[in-house]
Amino acid sequence: MKDLSAPANPLETLAYILSKQIRDHQIVYIGTGIPMIAGILALKTHAPNITMVYESGGQDPIPRDLPWSVGCPFTWRKSPAVMEMSYSFAQCYNGYVDIAFLGFAQVDMYGNVNTHQIGKDVLHPTVRMTGSGGNNDLASLSDNLILVGVQTPDKFVEKVDFITSVGYLTGGNSRKEAGLIGDGPKVVISQCGEFDFEPATKRMRVKTLAPGWTFDFTQQFTGFELLKPEGEIPQTPLIPDDILKLLRTEVDPRGVFTTMPTA
Amino acid sequence: MAVFNYNKVALENLKIEDTSVLDRLVNFESALQAHKKKEHAKVDKRMTLKEAIATFISDGDVISDSGFSYVRTPHQAHWEIMRQEKKNLQMIGAPNTNQSFMIFNNNVNLSHNSYAGVEMRGIDRNYDRMLKTGRTKILSEWSHGGVALGYKAAQLGTPGVFSKQMLGSDIMKYNPYLNVVQNPMRSDPDPVVFIPALYPDVAIVHCQLADKYGNAYIYGPTVNDVAAAAAARKLIITAEEIVPESDIRNRQGTIIPFFYADAVVELPFGAVPGNMPGYYYWSRQWWEKLIRFGCVNDENLKIFFDEWVYGVKDQFDFVNKLGGSRWIAEARMQTKAAEGDHEDIDFSYEEYTRTHDSGLYY
Repeated sequence: MKDLSAPANPLETLAYILSKQIRDHQIVYIGTGIPMIAGILALKTHAPNITMVYESGGQDPIPRDLPWSVGCPFTWRKSPAVMEMSYSFAQCYNGYVDIAFLGFAQVDMYGNVNTHQIGKDVLHPTVRMTGSGGNNDLASLSDNLILVGVQTPDKFVEKVDFITSVGYLTGGNSRKEAGLIGDGPKVVISQCGEFDFEPATKRMRVKTLAPGWTFDFTQQFTGFELLKPEGEIPQTPLIPDDILKLLRTEVDPRGVFTTMPTA
Repeated sequence: MAVFNYNKVALENLKIEDTSVLDRLVNFESALQAHKKKEHAKVDKRMTLKEAIATFISDGDVISDSGFSYVRTPHQAHWEIMRQEKKNLQMIGAPNTNQSFMIFNNNVNLSHNSYAGVEMRGIDRNYDRMLKTGRTKILSEWSHGGVALGYKAAQLGTPGVFSKQMLGSDIMKYNPYLNVVQNPMRSDPDPVVFIPALYPDVAIVHCQLADKYGNAYIYGPTVNDVAAAAAARKLIITAEEIVPESDIRNRQGTIIPFFYADAVVELPFGAVPGNMPGYYYWSRQWWEKLIRFGCVNDENLKIFFDEWVYGVKDQFDFVNKLGGSRWIAEARMQTKAAEGDHEDIDFSYEEYTRTHDSGLYY
């Protein structure tokens, strides 16, 4: 049985911080995992009028249980429209997505994302992972992209082993020069806090830190040199007890996405 | 004779020397000939799954499937491909989760990759192992949107489309079909990716209803299936139910027109153990067992497929193994609750783990 009064674990914290990125009435493009939790949590709290969309084409489903696939019935339950996959990404290109969320296995100092593999050699990787799925499409086309994942020095790396999705490529103006539309990732969210990108160099910078995290401690969880903002670093909002309870009882009661892996 | 201009960096990175293996997927002329040659008259195309796979899938073909990983996916047709021991197939799709199992079984040995894995149930360690041991070779890396646009370009009747997807990423360095060009409409720098129209040899589409001519009705996300059906040289329709043509005519919704179809197979439970909208929920424990037990090593996966593919003679047998009429009742109730209103269903179940196997599949 779940202990409803236990302190928030990192995944629950992530889900909450992520949900706070969403404003009411936005069209929200949701990927697999924690973003699903964040979207439903936002819907049940501060943003009851958002429209969630999924890459399988589901538009504005009425949520029920947590989706186990972006193609499953919960992503298009009672949807007024279900679009083909190519049109679903086109929705993003054409400006009808206000915010999008993506996960990563690795992210680098310029917000480039890897979901392909660990190891540099595509023909002989150390570990082969999923590949792009829709990750590249959203990262290429989104204006307001939020990246989310658990932070370790192995995941926050100086250079990703494979650029599945371009963030700011090599920094500066290189994303635009590559021809990509959209502004690139706005924020990266981990259990340590929130990170944005310094406007000129496009290098990852601490924006807020979760309670208990200092800049130096966070740096130890990072495989590259983080930029420090001017002045005092604000604290990442803590998940309030009532929202934590809602998350545990109504959003993810079986802990499908918000249970910390044990092995 | 078309001569193709493949991305040289990608050819080098992927160590592809003989490019003829790449040609079929983008060979419009041969797809056009295939489309012209096939039966255009509205005739009865019904046959068994065995006949359809034997007749319309040849060794060396580029195959694609329907739905989304394990939603409206023709798993039972996949098993039949495995049982018939087809060889040297290439597989493409967005996603392309199911290639993994046909690679293990030596049916597929060339991979057009977009996504492999079972989302929240985890990374597919079998695909990882198949790549590392050279049992499949990647011919091209894609984003989902890239494959979707390639099919769509074919359906639209164009040589290809320009896209802003995949630019600047390493996918471009591992996809011989993709080249970056300057947008011809602009004189300021504006790089775009040219995505060629993609023509798989075979599309297998599982749908809810079809008539005997091949008019196929899809309920729920169509994903890329109408485009893939239009592009493919050969189309096998498998359907939960064969209905009179009038039934199809009276329906609103997505219909794949009959003239694309080469074979129509009445195949109730054709998408088990996946989810079939309107018909049955996915068997969560089956997939957990596949990923957490089967995919861990070759030995386990052989045990798993011996039991679930070679140990069953058809999809009815498969459903019996899942729990028979009890499974049908549970799975039907669950998918209806997932799609509609049924507040009493809570979707809890006994998850399969390496230390706990309830033996239940619903």
